[in-house]
Amino acid sequence: MPDTSSVKTGLPIQVVLEKSIGLAFPFIVAIVVSGIVLLIIGENPLDIYSLMLQEALGSGSRIAATLSAATPLLFTAVATSICFRSGVFNVGVDGAFVISGLAAATIGYGLPESVGFLILPVATLGAVVVGMSWLYVPGYLLARLQVDEVVSTLMLNFVAAGLSGFLVNAVFLSEKSGNNTTDTIPKIAEFNRLMPPSTLHSGFIIGLICLLVYAIWANRTPIGFEAKLVGLNQRFALATGISVPTTIIIVMVLSGLVSGLGGASHALGQLYKFSDGFSAGYGFTGMAVALLARNSAIGILLGAILFGALASAGTTIQLFSEIPLDLVNIIEGTVMIFAVVELGKITILRRRTST
Amino acid sequence: MISLHLIEQVIASSIYLTTPILLAGIGGLVNRQAGIVNIALEAKMLVGAFVAIVVSSATGGWFLAVISAGVAAAGVGYLFSLTITRANANMIVAGLGLNILVAGGLGFILSWNFGTSGTLRLPEIHLLPKILDDSVAAIPFVGTMLSGLDPLTLFAWATVAALPFLLANTRIGLHLRAAGNAPHVARGVGLREKLLQDMGTTFAGFYSGLAGAHLSLSSIGLFNEGITAGRGFIALAAFYFARNRPIGTAMVCLLFGFLDASQIRLQTAGLPPKLISTIPYLMVLIALCIAGWRKRERNELQ
Repeated sequence: MPDTSSVKTGLPIQVVLEKSIGLAFPFIVAIVVSGIVLLIIGENPLDIYSLMLQEALGSGSRIAATLSAATPLLFTAVATSICFRSGVFNVGVDGAFVISGLAAATIGYGLPESVGFLILPVATLGAVVVGMSWLYVPGYLLARLQVDEVVSTLMLNFVAAGLSGFLVNAVFLSEKSGNNTTDTIPKIAEFNRLMPPSTLHSGFIIGLICLLVYAIWANRTPIGFEAKLVGLNQRFALATGISVPTTIIIVMVLSGLVSGLGGASHALGQLYKFSDGFSAGYGFTGMAVALLARNSAIGILLGAILFGALASAGTTIQLFSEIPLDLVNIIEGTVMIFAVVELGKITILRRRTST
Repeated sequence: MISLHLIEQVIASSIYLTTPILLAGIGGLVNRQAGIVNIALEAKMLVGAFVAIVVSSATGGWFLAVISAGVAAAGVGYLFSLTITRANANMIVAGLGLNILVAGGLGFILSWNFGTSGTLRLPEIHLLPKILDDSVAAIPFVGTMLSGLDPLTLFAWATVAALPFLLANTRIGLHLRAAGNAPHVARGVGLREKLLQDMGTTFAGFYSGLAGAHLSLSSIGLFNEGITAGRGFIALAAFYFARNRPIGTAMVCLLFGFLDASQIRLQTAGLPPKLISTIPYLMVLIALCIAGWRKRERNELQ
């Protein structure tokens, strides 16, 4: 989706104001909507929100849980942003995440333990290659045959779910642990835990590095700039000598690379295996994060932590109060819809034209 | 040895499993002809399935339950349409968001109002009636199918039969397609293209609601969070594959229904169900590739 907010002219303050309203607006709506839901069921929204805040960030272990929940979102949000800023509407990050997670887990437990510390990098590399190949397909189809990428990536998500579900049950099924899951990987292939007993693992650090590299790529390299130009105006990009098809394939493959890293991090750092239902919609939550952040690196970091906090607070809040965990989905869905609604922009633009 | 009984069974369950996909597919194709790709068919089916169960239990009438399901889902569809046509929301993201929002909202209602998680069972559910008398079951091949025929299945196929005419020869059909194919031109000749698109999405909502009602009221009589099981997306695959043509979409839906029905039998023949479930999506991918490849060849020839 072409993001034109950064090329608007006007006073810097006005630009900053517009940007921050754009960032905050979907969240304000989501908080109001979920607040109304809470009022309807007779709870005090402020109490619940402060409880959630405490559960998400109240102590060291709670912060670790939040960051742990944010880890897959860092990868999926970066993977989504890489494509969105070039106007490539890739909704297939979830599928790439799943299929590369399967690759990482199977390589992780499949290699003989005598390979030692090399298992981890080999499994990660395998996942990355699988992720890149997976998204190369819709990239090629869009660039060369003009196959609508929304449909192709959406369809590929279901193919990934079906294929991985089949493989995990028919080929890679664990004999020890029963249905729908592979064997666990050996200890030496695990991403190490940063703050045990919390599940926060070094995949989070890799996610941060990924985000940093993305920021540099997007803002400081020619190819990143070209990719953005393709998103802003394809005909202009073409006129300046940028190959649009090549750029489309590059951003898709890069998106697959990051999805693959995410899948590897989740398989080798969080679950230590692949099981059916590997991704709890991380690709789609990552999309919400990317949209909210308008593809900016800082925004992605904040958004991923925010949604991580929602997820980790949501699970414990269900234990302490009677509020269903589904509240988190209500918030996420509302954020997603209102992240693309342009009410805020409309009012600002109107005000500007009238003065 | 394939027995007559087996064939009868497969025909009956194919028709029965086609109905929800077909109803949602009809809604989706009209919506797409009017210019909006509706990714949220799934959400509206879920709303329909839920409302149908609640109303059927409360009033004891299947007809009222079906109509309420359609109207409730149409309302959701209308609001969804407003975010796209009036607030310029991206239709794909808004659709995916609505799917998440509706799943969350219904899950919330389920555990808060009904105290269950996942599945809702209510007393005195009135299921869809059978249209024909039991005596038709004696007819070879189609007997089992005919005796199990419910009103929604009939309604779906009647719509398929009427739709080509409605879209090509009536004023509203032409206006809808104009709003989809050339919104600026439609506006230029004095049509309210946004209103027409809203009507398309509301229509899709209504039909998806009926599809949901069929899922929950046709035989099991309960609501489950996973009751739609991706059928909204299979419907999307169907009208994409058939390039929005009503009869073609119906045939593709029938094929998907047949795949669904023969899944258990193929499973015993050694074909894993998970792989079979990817067939609709692979078919769309292949169809899109062939279309794109043909277009490129044509361009190269010129």
